[in-house]
Amino acid sequence: MNYPVWDVPGIGGAWVIGIIAILHVLIAWFAVGGGLYLPLAEQKLYREGREEWLPVLITHSRFFLILTGVFGALSGVGIWFAIGLVHPEATSTLIHNFVFGWAIEWVFFVVELAAAAVYYYSWNRIPRDLHLKVGYLYALSSFLTLVIINGILSFMLTPGSAWLAVAGTGQEASRFWQAFFNPTYWPSLVMRTLACLSLAGIYALITYSRVDDEALARTRTVMVRWSAQWLVPMFLLMPFVLLWFLAMTPKEGMSVLELGITTIGSGAFTQVTRIAMLTIITTVTISGVVYFFAYRFPRDLSPGHAFAILGLAVVATSSTEYARETIRKPYVIGGYMYSNGVRRSEVEKFNTQGYLTASLWKPATDDAVASGHAMFRGQCMSCHTVSGYRSMKRLLQGRDEKAIASMLEMLHRPTPDSMYVKYMPPLVGTREEREALAKFLATLTRPAPPSLAQQEKRQQVMAR
Amino acid sequence: MNHISQYVMERLGLEEVLAAARKKTVPVHRHSFWYYWGGISLFCFLIQVVTGILLLVYYRPGPEAYESVRQISYEIHFGWLIRSVHNWTANLFLVAVFVHMFSVYFMKAYRAPREFGWLSGILLLLLGLAFGFSGYLLPMDTLAYFATKVGLEIPNALPVIGPPIANLFRGGLEVGEYTVQRFFALHAVILPLLFLPLLGLHLWLVQKHGNAVPPSEEAKPVDQRRSIPFFPNFLARDLAMWLITLNVIALLAALFPWQLGEPADPLSPAPAGIHPEWYFMSQFQVLKIMGTLFPGVAGEAIGMILFTAGLVLWALVPFYDTREKAARRAKKATYFGILVICILVGTTIWGYLGLE
Repeated sequence: MNYPVWDVPGIGGAWVIGIIAILHVLIAWFAVGGGLYLPLAEQKLYREGREEWLPVLITHSRFFLILTGVFGALSGVGIWFAIGLVHPEATSTLIHNFVFGWAIEWVFFVVELAAAAVYYYSWNRIPRDLHLKVGYLYALSSFLTLVIINGILSFMLTPGSAWLAVAGTGQEASRFWQAFFNPTYWPSLVMRTLACLSLAGIYALITYSRVDDEALARTRTVMVRWSAQWLVPMFLLMPFVLLWFLAMTPKEGMSVLELGITTIGSGAFTQVTRIAMLTIITTVTISGVVYFFAYRFPRDLSPGHAFAILGLAVVATSSTEYARETIRKPYVIGGYMYSNGVRRSEVEKFNTQGYLTASLWKPATDDAVASGHAMFRGQCMSCHTVSGYRSMKRLLQGRDEKAIASMLEMLHRPTPDSMYVKYMPPLVGTREEREALAKFLATLTRPAPPSLAQQEKRQQVMAR
Repeated sequence: MNHISQYVMERLGLEEVLAAARKKTVPVHRHSFWYYWGGISLFCFLIQVVTGILLLVYYRPGPEAYESVRQISYEIHFGWLIRSVHNWTANLFLVAVFVHMFSVYFMKAYRAPREFGWLSGILLLLLGLAFGFSGYLLPMDTLAYFATKVGLEIPNALPVIGPPIANLFRGGLEVGEYTVQRFFALHAVILPLLFLPLLGLHLWLVQKHGNAVPPSEEAKPVDQRRSIPFFPNFLARDLAMWLITLNVIALLAALFPWQLGEPADPLSPAPAGIHPEWYFMSQFQVLKIMGTLFPGVAGEAIGMILFTAGLVLWALVPFYDTREKAARRAKKATYFGILVICILVGTTIWGYLGLE
């Protein structure tokens, strides 16, 4: 709670993470799937005597190297910056708990990047067998980066009872493997692997769609069809893996999803259900579009079609990531730390001793509005903004200080059947701190005095 | 299965239809993307028909209009989805029609022998706008009420013929339940009766004359032009585009379900910043500008004369920019198209910026 607070007006810090993460996922998953795609494609061309296609594959491997090695690496660091600023407490927990996990991840990263560069620069310079071996080394190391990062990412949703039993005692690292192979580890790994394979096929379609040399038309048809088939495992297995994943998801997250499903008919369903619905619809659309554009009529595939497929993949990926993030609510680390960085174990302490008492950000004066502002920055701003995304001005519109205070009391001690308990952390703090927060929030809902220009305009209208 | 399909094919004569579809070709060039927009417009219209029929089951025009839309939105299972899809598709339909019209314009696809295709397309756009205007009132919430009230003030301002026309639409001197009845009849009966045969004519003309190619492509020798069969190649692409369109509509309906405001109250003051839908914003802004330049009824009358003159010029372009005339006319027509886009976009943005 004593880390600096990052104020991102408009979109909020959560969306900064979201935008970078979606971009990164699209590239990182391509790095994993494409790592396997390249040597398999190369082997296929040798086996079937289609070596005229090798220059196209070399172009694809250059595109691959630049995209994953440059943009992938940059966006990966970008995520670290963003999560470190928006969720410093949670990032600190991840670093301390998975020190050796990160070390292993970095070893695989180094091997992966080196192998990718060697693979591209050694085309036609080393024996084919050796070149293929480099390709498969790349495929293995990039898959292992996924194997490691998946343990850390899925830990944030379901840390598992073994780790939770020692959480906060300083012994967390002793349960490294239990935390790593947590309940959603395996379904997440399978789901991400399927997505990686699909993206490998989609990116290959982009490269191949740009080939318009009539002499290569027959091989192009074969390779476009072959690349389209990389999406088949996803379409066949995704429903089952999704069900497996949901079965392992904590019941708090599932209850939001279930509420949404049961009320879907009346339209009063929750956002996570709508987003999940979008994922399913878009996945079906991708399957249809790939079938029509690439598999059924491979000769007609144009760059526009290939980019349309990638665009749909962006929608599917974004909505899946958004749904996963929402299911994790109200926690940032399931069952341990709420999305505003307050640990579950600290709630009672903050309620009795005060949230701002031990905070470096406690205002020097006794001004209640300033204290309320500090409460807002500490407990609300990781998800809400003043007037942009999840705007407090909009959400509290029409409420005076008394109404806001009564709502805050509901958030402070939510009843078990309250909707808010499913996705919002409990508001912590003493009565004075909660009242201070209400005072601050009330300043947001009061209409601002008209500006000089507006006053002049109104006077002109009145005069007319 | 083959037996069944052969049985059906023989009896319905579908083989001949398929043979004709296989014979028909669609040009392939770097502007081919614009060919999809007519199909997307048609697909949106089909969605409108299906969702419109579903909404008809529960919608009650007249004094219960608001209550019935409230039930559709919040009580009837999946009513919110049908209504949201209907509203979003209405907007997307007009976007697609505008894109289609301008792509046809800049590809010079209005030239002989496609003049009637161009004219019927413009009439379809006007009917589409009328669909939008008449449908907007039907929920009878505050925004719909005041937007329609303001909208009907425009014909009302015309000298002599204006008030009778406005009264005819309103069903009296004020917007009320009779107006809803009339707009409903217009929206669900009269406009479809006009639209469907015109759409049939438009599609038949497209089939008859085929897809036009832009002048840059026309200049190439015939052996350098590429094309693909309409069936099954282009149709498959069209279907894939329809699937993408459906996905966009699902995305919009799921993430931004269409809201219903407070019930209309004629005695309450108009909400601040009342404005028409985006597709009437340009005209709204031009009327505002004219109202400032020429106060009183004259401003609105001049504004309306300007629209009408602009529309007539737009419709008559095929008779000005013909293949037989000099290239200078073709250039002028292109500049005119750019000017129209600039005016439409500019005044629309201006209109939104001017809202309080």
